Amino acid sequence: MDRSAQAGPVANVLAWSVLLFLLLPITVIFPISLTDQRFLSLPYEALSLQHYVAFFTSERWLSSTWQSLVIALASTILAVSTGTLCAIGCWKLSTRATEIVRVLMLLPIIVPSIVYALGIYRLWIRLDLLDTYTGVILVHGVTGIPYVVITVTTALANFDPRLEQAARGMGASLRQTLAWVILPRIMPGIVSGAIFAFIHSWDEAVLILFIASRALFTLPRRMWDGINENLDPVMAVAACVMILASVLMLAVDLWARRKRSE
Amino acid sequence: MAVAAPPSRVLGASLPWWLLIAPALILMLAFYAFPLAEVLWISFTEPEPGLSNYERLITSEAVQRVWITTLRICIITTVITLLAGYVVAYALSSAPPRVQRWMFLFILLPLWISVLVRAFAWVTILRRQGLINEALIGAGLIDEPLRLIWNEFGIAVGMVHYMIPYAVLPLYASMRDIDPRLVPAARGLGASRFEAFRSVFLPLTRPGIIAASVLVFIFSLGFYVTPAILGGGRTLMIAEYIKLQILDLIRWGLGTMMASTLLIAIVLLLWALSRIVDIRRVFGSG
Amino acid sequence: MAALSHALTVDRVSKHYGPVRAVDDVSLTIGRGDFVTLLGPSGSGKTTLLMAIAGFVAPTSGQILLDDTPITPLPPEKRNFGMVFQGYALFPHMTVAQNVGFPLRVRKVGRAEADRRVADALALVQLDHLADRLPKQLSGGQQQRVALARALVFQPALLLLDEPLSALDKKLRAELQVELKDLHRRVGLTFIYVTHDQEEALSMSDSIAILRDGRLVQEGPPGALYERPATRFVADFLGKSNFIEGVVEEVRADGFSYAAAGQRFVQHGGAEGLAKGAPVLVAIRPEKIEVREAAPAEPEMNGLSGTIAAWSYFGSAFALLVDTPLGRVQAAIPAWRCPVEPSEGRAVHLAWTADASVRVVAD
Repeated sequence: MDRSAQAGPVANVLAWSVLLFLLLPITVIFPISLTDQRFLSLPYEALSLQHYVAFFTSERWLSSTWQSLVIALASTILAVSTGTLCAIGCWKLSTRATEIVRVLMLLPIIVPSIVYALGIYRLWIRLDLLDTYTGVILVHGVTGIPYVVITVTTALANFDPRLEQAARGMGASLRQTLAWVILPRIMPGIVSGAIFAFIHSWDEAVLILFIASRALFTLPRRMWDGINENLDPVMAVAACVMILASVLMLAVDLWARRKRSE
Repeated sequence: MAVAAPPSRVLGASLPWWLLIAPALILMLAFYAFPLAEVLWISFTEPEPGLSNYERLITSEAVQRVWITTLRICIITTVITLLAGYVVAYALSSAPPRVQRWMFLFILLPLWISVLVRAFAWVTILRRQGLINEALIGAGLIDEPLRLIWNEFGIAVGMVHYMIPYAVLPLYASMRDIDPRLVPAARGLGASRFEAFRSVFLPLTRPGIIAASVLVFIFSLGFYVTPAILGGGRTLMIAEYIKLQILDLIRWGLGTMMASTLLIAIVLLLWALSRIVDIRRVFGSG
Repeated sequence: MAALSHALTVDRVSKHYGPVRAVDDVSLTIGRGDFVTLLGPSGSGKTTLLMAIAGFVAPTSGQILLDDTPITPLPPEKRNFGMVFQGYALFPHMTVAQNVGFPLRVRKVGRAEADRRVADALALVQLDHLADRLPKQLSGGQQQRVALARALVFQPALLLLDEPLSALDKKLRAELQVELKDLHRRVGLTFIYVTHDQEEALSMSDSIAILRDGRLVQEGPPGALYERPATRFVADFLGKSNFIEGVVEEVRADGFSYAAAGQRFVQHGGAEGLAKGAPVLVAIRPEKIEVREAAPAEPEMNGLSGTIAAWSYFGSAFALLVDTPLGRVQAAIPAWRCPVEPSEGRAVHLAWTADASVRVVAD
């Protein structure tokens, strides 16, 4: 129905303008990181990799990248292992109590980070966990659980509960049923959850301001200081590194899904 | 949730499943719910027990100014985000599938990029020597750089940019459910394009509009990174004000009181939203 | 509420989507007050043609005239046609009365006047008692009637109906066919009805236009179309047919004779443009074939012998599948006068008169 069902030309032009606005920041970062100047700008005369060289030879940026990676991996493992089991338990029991558990698991994406940051800062002072790997990994892990619970719950919604009953009926233990029947079927959901949890930790920039200070300086933390102190083009390189890591994860997720559906 | 597992009522049978839930539950209670509760607790007990911290909501001009600034920026952000998101969702819902895939990619891609990186990108675009000012001066359109950042304008740009995808998803979900014959039907019955939109399409997207507004507004209220960077410390929104109280001024009572009020406001808004629309559908749409 | 009825002319209308010709050079005249059905399988272009008439689809070429006024450039809302959509397209956020009142609201009809006309329209479809319900609280048949009332309330120039009964079960469909026909008689409007259901088309229409692959194949009153299908497609789509491919032996004043599988058959009429030796295609309806125990003796009777391959009983009739030298032939015999006891493998003789069959164009 070409005369009425489609959006009119005005609506389409407006919509695409908004979409370009959405893409604008991502698209300017890459050329800026390749600038031949010593300050933040688009390249004037030539593309230059000098700031990439600066980034990858800088002790501070490299150690931040490394710390971010370690923390993100460890907290992802924590979030995925606990979150997946929790989602499965809630799915199987499906009682009023597990509904409450599910809502509790979603708290970290509803409550603003700043509110939680105060509480955990206070607790970590008391437990002497400020500025430690344990402290940061626990915090990023716990706040990563909701992403895993959501994706695994979604995957379980398409899982026939009779398969679990059939496996148990044939004499499989709970552990065997989990390992051989349930987990393989919901693997795409777990992978998606893991990727979300990883990116959550990798990008996290509020809690880290409170719970780490000197020993731990993650990539977002160093960028934060950089933006507030000296805006130099190496920052753009760091931004690109962060974007690439996220996009890489997204690609892994898409690839895993496609492989599943084949 | 298409298929729900049959509930098992016998405690003995459900115990192993509770053991699966336990690790996450314990972590969440000990390292999330407990510290959160403590924030509420401190707001009533420090520096001395009582409601003295909350009295400042009425007595302190600084506290009121922070709240008013926050609400003003959040309302502006929500209105602009909704308009922009509505147009995108509308175009998206009527686009052919191939175009739709590209639009989806463009909408979802920013969600995968760190909010800090995006704020940084806006700094490079909007600052005095940023891309826009350089371009405008280079083209001879202005002599003095425009003040695009470290004010409410900059904050609004960054926040709208962050929020648009969150508005598009519920709006699109509500539009997708509309029978595509309804608008043609209205026009066949004599309504102009605009009338058909206003009297048929728009009312049917009302749940989506409400859900998107509340979501965007809630996210905006507690937003920290973007306002802190693009406001440059000159425009204080509530999250940054809280951070100042705790990390720089070490005034726990005031900081936790503001955090608690923020939390209560959000819970109330979510509760109101759940009375109007089915929250599961809103969140399930992504 | 009988309105002045109008005639509609579709003049060489085409609609192309890229290389696809959804509607291909269709011309059609629809008389005042007629009930005309556009009939065709899915993908035949019938809905696209209806949407072009309604104004939702702009034709690639050709024009559409209401009486003598070209309406092709007009947007749908300016055409003043009532339309009942497939699935009804009732506005879910409005009550029945608000739905029916919608066309009056957009025409800025006064409140009192609008209320009166909504009540009249609902009375016309016997739904006055459900005015305050929401569409989702109604049954399928009731929703269908609301859609009708909404399409009629503003005294449209024409009523367009796009498969309005396709969502209903068989029994309800039969009831509503009678109601629709009755409604057509009472309001006196020109109805243009789209369906893929040939029985529906036969039972309701004053005239049927059969479309295939975007082209108009044949047009005419139901009886004429059924009795005198012009093409193999029409003979097969509207009811069932057996087809005999033969070669003309002799052209006569009142018809022709032809040979197929070594046998000779005669045919009344349809000899135009034929010469001896030309290939010819003849269609014969199953119910026009007689089954006999002996070969027919009458000279003008066509005969064919065969054995019963399969049969089924439908209460009113037997359906036989008979293997003959011409291939497998279907015959439908009224059960109460079937001369032979059907059984598989039994030898029978088939017979039909020269005017029972009809020559068709192979397409």
